[in-house]
Amino acid sequence: MKSKINSFWTVVLTIIITYLIVKFAIPALSRELTGMPFPLPVPSALIFIYMVLTLIAMFLLVTFDDKPLNDFMNPIKRFLRGDFSKPVRAIGIVLVSTTVGWYVYDITVPKVAAPVALRIQHPSSNFPNKMEDLQNPMTSPTEEQVTSFIEQAKAGEIQFIEQVVPDFEAWMDETGEEDPLLAINTPAIKTFRAALEADNVSAETARAALLEVRMFMGRALYAMNCRACHGDSVAGDGPMADGFKLRPINFTDNGTIETIVEGYTFWRVQNGGPGLPLEATPWDSAMPEWKVSLTEEERWLIIMAEYDLAEKTPRIPEKH
Amino acid sequence: MTLGNLGTAVALVALLVPGMAEAKTTPDGTMPEASEEFVETGRQTYIKRCSFCHGLLGDGNGPAADYLDPRPRDFTLGTYKFRTTNSGELPTDNDMFRTVSRGLPGTAMQAFDNDTIKNGLSEEERWQVISYIKTFAIEFDDPELDPVKTGKTLSLPANRAPYSPELVAKGKEVFEKAKCWSCHGKTGRGDGNKEFRKDDWGFPIRIRNVTHPWKIKGGGEAEEIFMRFTSGINGTPMPSFVKTLSEDDRWALANFIKSLQHDLTKHQVLAALTVEGAVPDDPADEAWKNAAPMDVRLTGQVIAPPRWQNPSIEMATVQAIVNDKEIAFKMTWDDPFKDIKHDPAKEMNATEIQKVGLYSSYVAANDMIARDLETFRDSIALQFPVKTPSGTKKPHFFRGESSSQVNLWIWNADLAEQGEEATVEANARGWRQAPKPQKDDQRQVISKAAWDQGQWTVIMKRPLVTDDKNDVQFEAGKFIPVAMNAWDGSNGEHGLVMSLSSWHYVFIDAGIPASVYIFTALGFILTGGLLVWFARKAESTPQTDASEQT
Repeated sequence: MKSKINSFWTVVLTIIITYLIVKFAIPALSRELTGMPFPLPVPSALIFIYMVLTLIAMFLLVTFDDKPLNDFMNPIKRFLRGDFSKPVRAIGIVLVSTTVGWYVYDITVPKVAAPVALRIQHPSSNFPNKMEDLQNPMTSPTEEQVTSFIEQAKAGEIQFIEQVVPDFEAWMDETGEEDPLLAINTPAIKTFRAALEADNVSAETARAALLEVRMFMGRALYAMNCRACHGDSVAGDGPMADGFKLRPINFTDNGTIETIVEGYTFWRVQNGGPGLPLEATPWDSAMPEWKVSLTEEERWLIIMAEYDLAEKTPRIPEKH
Repeated sequence: MTLGNLGTAVALVALLVPGMAEAKTTPDGTMPEASEEFVETGRQTYIKRCSFCHGLLGDGNGPAADYLDPRPRDFTLGTYKFRTTNSGELPTDNDMFRTVSRGLPGTAMQAFDNDTIKNGLSEEERWQVISYIKTFAIEFDDPELDPVKTGKTLSLPANRAPYSPELVAKGKEVFEKAKCWSCHGKTGRGDGNKEFRKDDWGFPIRIRNVTHPWKIKGGGEAEEIFMRFTSGINGTPMPSFVKTLSEDDRWALANFIKSLQHDLTKHQVLAALTVEGAVPDDPADEAWKNAAPMDVRLTGQVIAPPRWQNPSIEMATVQAIVNDKEIAFKMTWDDPFKDIKHDPAKEMNATEIQKVGLYSSYVAANDMIARDLETFRDSIALQFPVKTPSGTKKPHFFRGESSSQVNLWIWNADLAEQGEEATVEANARGWRQAPKPQKDDQRQVISKAAWDQGQWTVIMKRPLVTDDKNDVQFEAGKFIPVAMNAWDGSNGEHGLVMSLSSWHYVFIDAGIPASVYIFTALGFILTGGLLVWFARKAESTPQTDASEQT
């Protein structure tokens, strides 16, 4: 069944529905799309623009022809003339004026709400240019490193960072195995060990296995140093995340670590909150200056593991 | 536009509103047959996602394990805490699925459900990991120990009375009768014991403060709470009450425990209550009932070495009362042990620590932090910027920096106990140097404290304005940033081993300026006037349009 409504109500309803969509439906939809536990509200300046656009559209619709204009104006004229009875007119006038008065009061009265601080997430004003082209040395091992890794594997003396050694030693003690690589034993390592056995290791095979070993160490370092805030699935939801007003970054989000070059990630890990420029509100950032506690190699290992866990790749530096 | 279209639009809006996806707690199907390949795929995932805490051997000794409290589960013993089986029994497959899927709130074990975590694990991947985890304990191979086959599983009451004041009152009686308070305390804050308890592995454990829902590992819903004291928590002193309490009693008890949960406030601005008379300085003063509370979340100090991942104090509630001369803050926080002694000789020298280390409170590593009673004092501090910022720029929330200093009011339980003024006023310019106490003649904060049933209450009072340039000055109508530091002595906390919060604000009402009323009146009069004028005009215009429709 379709019942025709006149242009006055079309205008009123369109405005109300547009407002509801912008104010409530878009934030709700954003939650579905981002998968985050909070909505992304439309900024009030944007709401204003959308509503002005809607009003212009309605104005065009109504003034397009005399007929809709009359349709639109008649109820208003009749109301003002008192055709719906004088008391209705009086109540209407009081209601509209009160609404305007309340609105003025609401926007001018001082509110006990935290002042809003705009924050730029990836500030570049003090990012050193020379770091733009930095490449993670952990993801691109040199030929010497690969050769040395093969030698280590042959001698059964793979070099691990000290933090993971006790766990490997406990594993070897318990299982009686002598090769710590067996504890990791991902497909790449299986291939490498088989090739080692057959004595036909290619640089490619060894490189893949070395990357797995490094990834393992990076994940361990991440679990020790970063996990408490950024979470064990790098989703910015570690057990300590709720304690910070500026929540730890969720690396699985689009628009975080995949939009920046690795050199930038390294710079942020190195200098932490105190290294941020003013536009990025350094006073709210709990990110430590990791150069204080982690070696350069450890920081790169963590970055390698962080991109891998987040299933993201860093942005490629632009050619100059 | 037609009404039909309108309906479609409304339906569309309604469709877009539903909440976020919840972590699933029950699988779509049963656990698939664990073929060799299935278990091996699980092992690959385990090495990548689980081994760093739970260890290559599944013994809960991974490289990150010493940072965690509670420690990661040791899978080799087959002792699982959160089950739906009789006390002492193995968990069901679904119990393990639930834990892997949604994690254990308040611990390092987080959700792995790929419906809630983008890079989480699919249902099949979770089953694969579980099949691998089960290989760590031989108990899982023994069909006679299978809780499902031997009928040792538990279920929820078939008829669960809805939450009601009567049910809660009945639950309170059960709480008294079953002596839950002997460990958990009369108010549920975990303060029933005078010393630490230990788990089966010999690690000191915290008795759960059931009033903080974000820390309830097995889940905070009445159904989940019911299961905890029905199944017991294996490996800990928490027993099963399945034989001593009827099902109805346990359901009522679950609802009583649920009723104790604290509802966190959300606001970031503490509105000080303005009073005419004197500002109260006693924690028990009735006036505090009218002052709006603000809950401040705190977390471990991980910004500077020694990075502290096992904070004890995770929330403090603050209130403020002000008159034209003074301001008083009331801080309330839970702490099961009243630590009123301090031994400076046992403090660690954090300035020499650069490497991240094992500063976990229960690990003897480095012999640096003693988690002991009667070693360190309880303490709490309010922190303000010395200069109230005019824009958004503030000192760093962790003790400011060299260019902008903060003012700290540090209350110490040991001083309070000795009857001295317990609050030290100090200034800091960054964390690298300990806060510098102000001279005795510059101290103007007066404090008073009380400890009752696992809860501290501290009042700090100071004149709004002082003539000391190192003090914060309170001006009405300004947003004055405030942050907190807190120490639980028996958790080994002192110095930079502490909890801290981000910046919040305190706001003293300056009244509504006259301009607001003028603008409001103008808005009302102008609109009204215009409409009346239009109405007059419309009345005087002859009705020319005959085509008017009704």
